[in-house]
Amino acid sequence: MRRFDYYFRETATGLRRNGIVAFAAMSTAFIALFLFGLALLVAREFDLVIYNITRNVQVAVYLTDPVRPDTVTGLMQKLEALPAVADVTYETKQQACDRFHALFVNQPIFTENVSCDAIPASLRVRLTDTGLFDQIPVALSCSNQEQPGGGAKLVCTEPGVETVADYSSLLSRLTAITRALSIGILFVAVVMLASAIALIANTLRMGMFARRREIGIMRLVGATNWRIRVPFLIEGLVESLLGAFAAVVFLFIVKVFFIDRLRGEIQFFPLIRNSDVLAVAPLIIIASVVVAVVAGTIGMRRFLDV
Amino acid sequence: MISLQHVTKVYRNGVTALEDVSVEIEKGEFVFVVGPSGSGKSTLIRLLLKEEEPSKGDVYLAGKHLNKFSVWKVPHLRRNIGTVFQDYKLLQDKTSFENVAFALEVIGKPKNVIDQRVPEILEYVGLGEKLNSYPDELSGGEQQRVSIARACVNRPLVLLADEPTGNLDPSTSVDIMRLLDKVNRIGTTVVMATHDQAIVDAMRKRVIELDKGRVVRDQARGVYS
Repeated sequence: MRRFDYYFRETATGLRRNGIVAFAAMSTAFIALFLFGLALLVAREFDLVIYNITRNVQVAVYLTDPVRPDTVTGLMQKLEALPAVADVTYETKQQACDRFHALFVNQPIFTENVSCDAIPASLRVRLTDTGLFDQIPVALSCSNQEQPGGGAKLVCTEPGVETVADYSSLLSRLTAITRALSIGILFVAVVMLASAIALIANTLRMGMFARRREIGIMRLVGATNWRIRVPFLIEGLVESLLGAFAAVVFLFIVKVFFIDRLRGEIQFFPLIRNSDVLAVAPLIIIASVVVAVVAGTIGMRRFLDV
Repeated sequence: MISLQHVTKVYRNGVTALEDVSVEIEKGEFVFVVGPSGSGKSTLIRLLLKEEEPSKGDVYLAGKHLNKFSVWKVPHLRRNIGTVFQDYKLLQDKTSFENVAFALEVIGKPKNVIDQRVPEILEYVGLGEKLNSYPDELSGGEQQRVSIARACVNRPLVLLADEPTGNLDPSTSVDIMRLLDKVNRIGTTVVMATHDQAIVDAMRKRVIELDKGRVVRDQARGVYS
């Protein structure tokens, strides 16, 4: 108990003595960790959107009405035999309709005017490699036909098949955008994290310099290196954990004041929830601990010798 | 208690501080190490604290071969050694009590031990009335007493004193020497580096004289020169 008391007191004194520098370190840690969390949330948001648009389905094979069960099994077997196909699932008209209603639940203008009958059943195909899409129209004997209104459509002669739609390029484009955005933010976050490390290391070093007499005496009377270092390590940890805490709070604020406002405006867009922010929090805290440990190692390197 | 065998210390800048020094000091001895500035007195003390490594030769302290002592055990070695310096090395923002208590606190001694031993040792060095005085409220001699109390509070086997009277007037120096003698009488081995001739001559203790890093004299009950 006495030991904790000692560490706590030493840490508190250190933070007080270094007030402004400690504050600078803390706010840098805060901004860095906030951006780090933001990058993760942006990625999460895009994942949600992509999933909602495509259900991660890369290729849809739309079927002609009426759908015959033996045609469906036959087609599924045919598709699954292709090396390009990872798996195939069948979506009935009813399921497709339900999904349509769920997607546009806030836009009755769509749901009221489109009858379920107009929505086709489909086979949803996941590809082993998006580059292999061409195998599917070949297997189903489809050919490109110019449409009167412009654009092209794959029209298939395979019985029961209406058309084949390739979403894989859309999917990969969306994924690429997500990746670029979150890598961009992550890059800024990493630069900021590096400055947070440098600033915290600097406060520790200044603290050690200010207390070099005490440290010298501690060495002389036989205090262990850990005894000397732990208060400084805790100081760095407190600074970066406070930054992490502020970052999490701020992410919640952003979520409540910006994202939640959008909920009324953009209706068929899925938006991140509190649970998504909460899921990011442990990662931010882990990052802040890493920052503190690295800062401690760098900041005290020169003082490690006995 | 202390044994140096053919110890040579050459600093990285090429200065030879000690050259082939062999010295044996028994438990309970009081030894003066004398010599002009730069003769290697401080280097000798630094070797015993393992603040420096010998370039050649072996150093033993309390039965331990310091050359082979691992770095992480050094703090435990130092808990058996008290150190006193010319500049006292007291913390200005702590009282006498707190300065002495600090030495026990940082090696993890419990509060009840601190509360018992610190007043005891301050009483022993003659500062029983000045527990709550800050260093700037104390005379030089009193400050050196606090530093001796701090060096002795953990009951060390060896007390190393580097010019402990260097900043004190002759009569205060005599008081400090009486105190060190008292510490020696309870069994603590005392090694004191000094060039205070009057004190060495008055005490008539063993004298080891260094000159340019070599032992030029080792005399029981000796005088300064």
